[in-house]
Amino acid sequence: MNKVLITINNLDDIKKLKELGINSFVFPLKDFCVGISNTFSMSEINNVNENNYLLVNRILDNEGIDKLKEELKKIKNVKGIIFDDLGIIPIVKDLDIEKILYLSHFNSNIESISIYLNYVQSVVISTDIKESEIEYIVKSIPDKLTLFVLGYIKSMYSRRLLIDNYVKFHNMEKDNPIEIENTNHKFLVYENDYGTILYHMPLFNGLSLMKYPCKYYFINSAFLSIEDLISLLKNESKIETDRAFLDKGTIYKLKGDNNG
Amino acid sequence: MVELLAPAGDLERLEIALLYGADAVYIGGYDYSLRANAKNFSLDEIEKGINLAHNINKKVYVTVNIVFHDENLKDVKTYLQKLKDMHVDAIIASDIVIVNMAKELGIDIILSTQASTLNYEAINFWKSLGVKRFVLGREATREDIIRIKKECNVELECFIHGAMCTSISGKCILSNYMTGRDSNRGGCAQICRWVFNRCDKESIPFTLMSKDLNMVEFLEDMINIGVNSFKVEGRMRSIYYIATVIMCYRKIIDGILNKTLTEKDLKYYELILDRVANRDTTPQFYHKFPGPNESYFQDRMEVSNQDFLGMVIDYDFKNKMLIIEQRNYFKIGDVVEFIGPNMDEITYTIKEIFDEDNNNIEVARHPKMIIKLKFDEDLPKFAMMRLKVFDKNNDL
Repeated sequence: MNKVLITINNLDDIKKLKELGINSFVFPLKDFCVGISNTFSMSEINNVNENNYLLVNRILDNEGIDKLKEELKKIKNVKGIIFDDLGIIPIVKDLDIEKILYLSHFNSNIESISIYLNYVQSVVISTDIKESEIEYIVKSIPDKLTLFVLGYIKSMYSRRLLIDNYVKFHNMEKDNPIEIENTNHKFLVYENDYGTILYHMPLFNGLSLMKYPCKYYFINSAFLSIEDLISLLKNESKIETDRAFLDKGTIYKLKGDNNG
Repeated sequence: MVELLAPAGDLERLEIALLYGADAVYIGGYDYSLRANAKNFSLDEIEKGINLAHNINKKVYVTVNIVFHDENLKDVKTYLQKLKDMHVDAIIASDIVIVNMAKELGIDIILSTQASTLNYEAINFWKSLGVKRFVLGREATREDIIRIKKECNVELECFIHGAMCTSISGKCILSNYMTGRDSNRGGCAQICRWVFNRCDKESIPFTLMSKDLNMVEFLEDMINIGVNSFKVEGRMRSIYYIATVIMCYRKIIDGILNKTLTEKDLKYYELILDRVANRDTTPQFYHKFPGPNESYFQDRMEVSNQDFLGMVIDYDFKNKMLIIEQRNYFKIGDVVEFIGPNMDEITYTIKEIFDEDNNNIEVARHPKMIIKLKFDEDLPKFAMMRLKVFDKNNDL
């Protein structure tokens, strides 16, 4: 568990997670994250004496990147940053912290990952690919990459406030998050000021991927109670989970598409 | 240079788009393109398209914008080399491996909207890798565009018309889950247009659907702030849609540049543009944050209109008759109009219809049947006949 990077919902959870041997904690940075209900200010993070990593998973506009630059000046007790927006690469270049690129839905091949490794210390491999593809990638670039192994997978990120628009249009009271379904597929929908995330349900459980030689294994604990999280990590949970695309990849082309 | 950039799903659409006023078209090959359901182009057709465009001093950009898995990389360098040999004007890409390959080969690169680029630092990152032009995320505001233009000094290509993703482009895998088709490799099944039930409580169904984009109102402003290329969405749209939308934007842009565009013209083109798509349109993120008015909340039926009546395929000089391939039902007495490349709309009341053998008929009811109409002048190839719905002089 010493290679696990796990997002924190509550500071009190750290002690319980340390008992499992986890010692690196990811703090969703307030005003720079989407799809996460519990975020932390930089001063709160600086006061935690652990291996602290920042999570910045927003796609940033100009104003957002300016504000992040200011926020990063306050860093005191941070070991690394995990981020989705490529505009962050230039602004963290000279910071003495570990940089981990988590470009959602990209980084599905060795060559792209290798290029990004010229700019960052680790890259999170896409969750949209099969286990055999993951195996091929991590064995080609051993001990440098990060695998997403547990948590809800973002299946859509909209800049729009979809719940807000829905309740305003129908003149309803607002719930956030909500759960929606169509053709037996369920999604957890959560929004904040910076956009709306649809997480696919059930939870993704790829803990078995921890057998592969990676630098880190990333766990997103958003919308999971600490009890459920611990039982999942101990492999004692009865919670329904799935393996996303690990066993059955997506179809690139149907036979006959484009005559070719 | 203000570029009007049109989508082209196949060679016919490419020709139509260029004839109706596009300065450039973007197309996809059979492989590596995000619109797997469009007809798309073989390598031979890409070459024909490039030659056709270059012969009239216009440009062709080829999309190579899927997210590449290792299995997709096997032949892509050869493919890019072939595009280079055909003198493609640029490729549109989002995956860094393709950007690097294209740079090595000396092919100009346009960063796809799939790369979700909304800030000047991200632009500078890609610029350092050799990207020449950027399609910003469709969430970019007017202020974002101005600042990026000022700080980065790069070419900007902005969507001005057509369907919107509800998601930030490139950040959606709803199709992957719900259909097994990979949205970031061309399989988007437009799940954001589906209706979802609430499963946490009894409530009204939840919808995500965005209205379409229409930037007519802000086109002059966008030209003034330095946007270089004005991009229309829709590689899977019909030839009639492409012709109509491109012709409207051509006339609007030319009117702005020549300072001849009137409010009445603008309203007329807006009516035409709204009707051809049969979907509501708004400017979305440019001037304000989208609220409920920028989305659909009802399960809507998209009934396509039947305004497109026929395509002019030839002219019989001896008998002074237009030869037309029928596309939708029309009859004697209908008031129609002809539109075409480099011409103003011509209103025409159908008094007689002749079939291919010059027999008088009352109606043209069979798709693709050849009919003839008496007409005093020749019209350009690919002129189209449509139902006259709006009258610029009386309706506005």
